[in-house]
Amino acid sequence: MSVQLDYNVWLVLLSYAVSVLGAFAAMQAAVAIPLAVTPRQRTAAVAMAGAAMGLGGIWAMHFTAMLACDIGMEVRYDPALAALSALLAFGACCGGLMLVGSGRFGWWRLLAAGTCMGLGAAAMHYLGMAAMMMAADIHYAGKWVVVSVLIAIVASMAALWLAFNLRGRLQMIGSALVMGVAVCGMHYTGMAAVSLHANGGQLPDGYAQGLRSGNLGETLFAIVANLLLLVLGLYCWRQRYRSSLSI
Amino acid sequence: MVELEIQVLSDRREGLLVELGHVVVANHFSLLRQRLTQDGRGACLSMLVRGPDEQRMALEEMLGTHNRVLSFEAALAGEASVVPPLSMPMMSAEPSVPPELPPPASLPNVVQVEHVLPMLAQDYPQIYPWLVSLEHSVDEAVRESSLMLAGRRTGAWVYKRDYALGAKLGLAEAIRRIGVPALRQLADIEHHGVHLHVLNSPLCAPGARSGCRFYGGYLEGLLGAAVAPRRVFVRQLGCRGAGAALCSMEISH
Repeated sequence: MSVQLDYNVWLVLLSYAVSVLGAFAAMQAAVAIPLAVTPRQRTAAVAMAGAAMGLGGIWAMHFTAMLACDIGMEVRYDPALAALSALLAFGACCGGLMLVGSGRFGWWRLLAAGTCMGLGAAAMHYLGMAAMMMAADIHYAGKWVVVSVLIAIVASMAALWLAFNLRGRLQMIGSALVMGVAVCGMHYTGMAAVSLHANGGQLPDGYAQGLRSGNLGETLFAIVANLLLLVLGLYCWRQRYRSSLSI
Repeated sequence: MVELEIQVLSDRREGLLVELGHVVVANHFSLLRQRLTQDGRGACLSMLVRGPDEQRMALEEMLGTHNRVLSFEAALAGEASVVPPLSMPMMSAEPSVPPELPPPASLPNVVQVEHVLPMLAQDYPQIYPWLVSLEHSVDEAVRESSLMLAGRRTGAWVYKRDYALGAKLGLAEAIRRIGVPALRQLADIEHHGVHLHVLNSPLCAPGARSGCRFYGGYLEGLLGAAVAPRRVFVRQLGCRGAGAALCSMEISH
C-alpha cells in the first residue's frame, strides 16, 4: 500500500532558513580562502567553511526537512548512516571549496567545485534517506533523481560564482540564498522522486537503536546554535580586522 | 648564473622585503644580501641576488611593474653600480642618493603624505578637506606625485578593508565591481568600459592644483591588488581643472 507524504509548511520554511544560514556562515569563511597565506590558514578556512556548509547548510537542512515530512508512521534513523552522510557532506564541501578557493578563479575550476559540492549534497541526501528505518520500503523515480542532482550542481555553481566574484552585500547574502535554493531544490525534488510502500509492519534490524525525532531535534538545535555563533564570531573578527588595517 | 644588484624605491617599507623577496624567489633567484633604509623619498631597498641568466628579464619585468615599486634600477654585480655597496651599515644616518634615480623633485613628498594618511583613514570617505590641505602643504613640483601617492595608498587600504574577500578578478570585472562602487563613495562618476569620468570633484575645479592625480592613484591602488600580479595603469585623458568638460581617465593593465 502506498504511503502519503504530508509536509509541515513551517518546518519546510525553517529547513530553507537553516540551509541559508549554513551557506551564509560557509561563504563568510570561504571567501577568505584565497587570502590565506600559510597552508594552516588555508586548511582552517576550508574546514570552517566545509563544516558550516556540509553540516549546517546540507545535513541539518536535510533532517529539518525530514522532520517536516509526516508519513503517518514513526521513523527512526540509522546512527551510523546518518553520521556517514554528515561526513560525506563535510568532505564534499571541503573539496569543492578548496578547488574554487585556490589559484585563479576560472570556469573549469567552478565546474569542478560546483560538481563536487552538488554531488556531495545529493549523496548526503540519498544516504540520509537510506538511513530511514520504518515499516515501509522506499522506491525512486530515476528521472527525478537525475533532475535533483542537476539542480544541486547548477545551483551550487551559481552560488559559488556569486560568492567569489561579486563584492558587497549581494556577495554574501545573494550566494547564501542561491545555495539555499541549491540544497532545498535538490532535497525536495529528490523527495518528489520518492514513493513509499508499507511493508506490513516489518521493521528493519536495529530499529530499537535508531535515532528518534527528539534526538535529531537536539542535534539540529546544537548545529544551528553553532552556526549562529560562527557567523557572529566571524563578524566580530572582521570588524576588528578592518579597524586594525593601517593605511 | 648571474649576480644582480637591484635598487628599489617604494613609498613605505612595511612588508616590502617580503613581497619583493617572493618575486625574486618566484624567478628562481636567491637573495644573497639586502639593505633597507628609509628617507624623505620613501623606503629604499637594495638587494644582491643570484640566479639563472635566462630569468633576468622576467625578474626585472616583474620588479619594474610591481605595485610597491616607485622606481627601480638593476645592474650586473661588479659593473658600474647604480647601487651603493651592500656592505654599508644597515642603518645609515645620512641616506645615500643614488646618482641615477629620478631627481627628488619629481618624487612625492612622502613625509607630508604619511602625515595626512591617518586623517584620510579616520574621515573616509569625507576626505576632501585633507586632500586640499595636502595640496597646499607640498611644493608645486611634487604636488601631482604626492596626491597620486596619497591616492594609491588610500585605494590599497580601501581594497583591503572592503573588497579583498573573494577571487582575483579580470580588469573589466574589477572596474565594474570594485572601482566604480568605491569611487562613487568619493564623487559622482560615469563609467564606460575602461573609461571613468569624475563629474564634480572639488580637486578638479577650474584652476585646481593637482588635477585628477588622486583619483588615478586611488584606482591604481584599489584595482592593482584586485588584479594582481598584473599592474594597473591609469591614464588621465582630461581634467576640468585644465579646462576640459569632464575629468576623464582610462584604465589599463
